[in-house]
Amino acid sequence: MIVDLLKECLKKSRGYSELRHHKRDTFTVSVKDGKIDVLNSGIIEGVCARTLIDGSWGFSSTTVLEKGKIKEILEGAASLAEASKSKKKRAVKLASIKPHLDKYETSMKIDPRKIGREELVSLVIDVDKDVRGFSKNIVSDTVTFNIVDDELAFLSSEGAKISQRLARCFGSVMVIAREKGNIASAFETIGQESGLEVLEKTPLTDAGKTAAERASKLVSAKVAPGGLFHVTLENRIVGLLAHEAVGHCSEADLVFGGSFLADKIGKEVASKKVTLVDDGRFSGGFGTMKYDDEGVPTQRTVIIDKGICRGFLHSRETAQHFGVSPTGNARAWNFEYDPIIRMRNTFIQAGDYSLEELAEDIKEGFFLKGGLAGQADFNGEFMFGTQEAIRIKNGKFTESFRGVTISGNAFEVLKNVDAVGKDFAMSTGMCGKEQVNYAGIGGASLRTKVLMGGVR
Amino acid sequence: MSLANLAGFSVKYCEKMGVDEAEALAQSQRIVEVVLERAEIQSERIKNQRGIGIRLIKDKRLGFAFASTLSKASIEEACRNAKSLANVSIPNPDWVSLPTSARLPNPPNGIYDEKTAGLSGDEVLNLAMLAYDEAKGYDKRVDIDDGKFSTIINEVAISNSHGIEAEEKTTLLQGYLICVAKEYGETSSMAFEYDVTRSVDDFSPERIGRVSAEKALASLKPKAVEPFVGRVILDSDPAATILMSPIISGVNADNAQRGRSLWAEKLGEEVASEKLTVTDDGLLPKGISSSSFDFEGVPRQKTPVVTRGKLESFLHNSFTANKERKNSTGNAHREGYNMLPLIAVSNLMVKAGKKKLEEMISEVDKGIIVRRFSGNVRPESGEFSGIAKQASYVEKGEIKYPLKETMISGNAFQAIKNLIEIGSEIRPTFLRTYVPPIMVDKINIISK
Repeated sequence: MIVDLLKECLKKSRGYSELRHHKRDTFTVSVKDGKIDVLNSGIIEGVCARTLIDGSWGFSSTTVLEKGKIKEILEGAASLAEASKSKKKRAVKLASIKPHLDKYETSMKIDPRKIGREELVSLVIDVDKDVRGFSKNIVSDTVTFNIVDDELAFLSSEGAKISQRLARCFGSVMVIAREKGNIASAFETIGQESGLEVLEKTPLTDAGKTAAERASKLVSAKVAPGGLFHVTLENRIVGLLAHEAVGHCSEADLVFGGSFLADKIGKEVASKKVTLVDDGRFSGGFGTMKYDDEGVPTQRTVIIDKGICRGFLHSRETAQHFGVSPTGNARAWNFEYDPIIRMRNTFIQAGDYSLEELAEDIKEGFFLKGGLAGQADFNGEFMFGTQEAIRIKNGKFTESFRGVTISGNAFEVLKNVDAVGKDFAMSTGMCGKEQVNYAGIGGASLRTKVLMGGVR
Repeated sequence: MSLANLAGFSVKYCEKMGVDEAEALAQSQRIVEVVLERAEIQSERIKNQRGIGIRLIKDKRLGFAFASTLSKASIEEACRNAKSLANVSIPNPDWVSLPTSARLPNPPNGIYDEKTAGLSGDEVLNLAMLAYDEAKGYDKRVDIDDGKFSTIINEVAISNSHGIEAEEKTTLLQGYLICVAKEYGETSSMAFEYDVTRSVDDFSPERIGRVSAEKALASLKPKAVEPFVGRVILDSDPAATILMSPIISGVNADNAQRGRSLWAEKLGEEVASEKLTVTDDGLLPKGISSSSFDFEGVPRQKTPVVTRGKLESFLHNSFTANKERKNSTGNAHREGYNMLPLIAVSNLMVKAGKKKLEEMISEVDKGIIVRRFSGNVRPESGEFSGIAKQASYVEKGEIKYPLKETMISGNAFQAIKNLIEIGSEIRPTFLRTYVPPIMVDKINIISK
């Protein structure tokens, strides 16, 4: 057993030491235009050591799972910590936590380990067929389904011993339509942390249909206009707002550097309609885990409660610095990275408006659908891409335009939220902050004002 | 066993299992990484990783599997996994063959540097500190948000059942800093600067520190500009993101064959201003992605892509080349041993113009200059829109003031037709492109 081996190795470690074992078993099937493009499976497995000596961290990892090698990386981490100590200007102190002994597994109805790959291959082939059959102007598509099955072990010299198994099943559909020299693409995703039951809850073929419909429609559409507009953001992209506009700036490492939320605890930062949460235990959320990669139990952390800033996302180190309890937000992409502060499942809580009611009070504006990549800036300016913009005129949905990137200042955009829908939805996200990670993003459709990067 | 032996062993094992063709790519990397966060050294990492990817074909059916443990047992298991995936796969009628063996060119000069390979964690940390001190010392208002400096020694060996046996060793050194400037309670937007080289002798951490500090300071006290449609000077990095990524997607032979490229039927036609010449050069001395062979073991080469505005060639791997009975251009690419080969550029070189950035600015009557782009580019259609960061308003040949909450949007395929000027100062970007500043016209400049 790897856990016993790690425990054995930790016995004579120096300073405060952690060993993490990570075994990632992945499966990918991807069909492009009716033919299998990727059929890939494999295992990446390794161990890392992180050691804190006199306030200085060191880190080392290996894919060789032998006692000698693990002891070597522990020693390597310790000597890195010692060597770089003189160059570090701040001594790290960790908030104290209870060392946990626990096991956790993603709750699942259909364990992906128990299902033959053949079934999944034919499912993806069928979805591809449906997508290509949707309209004559669809020229190409890619349908992908992935299983990422993680086994994690965390052991510390404080005595923690935690094993977790996190299973993620997710898929995507990309569609290209062409017509009269024009080209348009659309992209949709499904997925959650669960077993294969996600395919029953949110069939991949539905995502395929949405993407096909969108590409097929937008191929003859114009690009949306540019400027400041009243908009309704679709539930599936509100999570991008939660993540990019607020989430990053509430990460304590960014707060420490002076992000726009830095001095805002207890102050009004958004309209009363906005309650924004980062939840490490959201059922099925893409970033759900019972313990983070520092062995801290995750929790539901309220960042904004009815417009008032209530808290930040912490690691053990920042919690100590801010004099609060760690929130369980220290996450690492894999055994090759040390944990840094990351969001888990970030969302804006539902309100009570219907989509029609959200549009009702908009004289001239847009309903924005379909998310693309986003980014946040230190100063509160954020952006993310949208795929489709449906014009709203006097409360009525009219013609469709190609979506554009939208931006705004987080403060202003959140203060301008004057209505939140009841259609809560959770989506999958990949967040890149020095290292990538899975993150859940969610929310309900809402109304606000943003700058649309369209045409004049 | 050496990587080459492991790859060879895997291919033989697959052949014994009775497949038609097999290929193995074994990789070993040693990465030394220093991460700066909140103006502090956050961590130093030493990562040793090895792995192997097995691609095999049985009755035109594809299977692929990988393993990060290079024991004989785990390699054999990966081979068996690949075969069992091929068994549940469906035949691809377009499949012809894995590439056959060909004489490889000499390794390009300067892709491996002994001194860089020997850098210790402490030495990489010193490089990071040089950048750090330069930025901090540049001006009191400058703060470092984060940064990362890393050195990679990469070894690859490829073997296949048609006699390909290739191995190579390279080094790469890269680093970036993100700075902000603070004054009177105001925080500038994040300013990004980087360097990427094959050798520590060509690497300038001081320049990273200085330029990222300069950029952060230059974006303090921004002002809004009235929206207009006009000229935009894109610095190398945004020029690569906005203009090169649609070109990269457009010349990808797989995209062309599937009708995903607007250039699919345009070989030999004019697709850009005659000022634009773009070449894919896999053999560029010291090039950040130069090598003597691609990720299928096919010789790298120099391929003209766009010559004086005319589309000259698409970029192929062996699969897309076989489909058209052509030769691969040596553009098979994998992000790692655990991925199947796709098509990617090697070093995509934009031919330099004659003018320096200052000269380009001096010739603008009304326009903006953008040094970072935070937005989205749709590679198929060329549509782009996003925030112009570290951007300034230019009037009568002079930079007037930094811009506040300004977005730009347009179409890259149109923009390369409306090219006004290509600058002379070429630099490598993270998209494996070598790009100078480029001035384009008729871009939407949007503000509140």
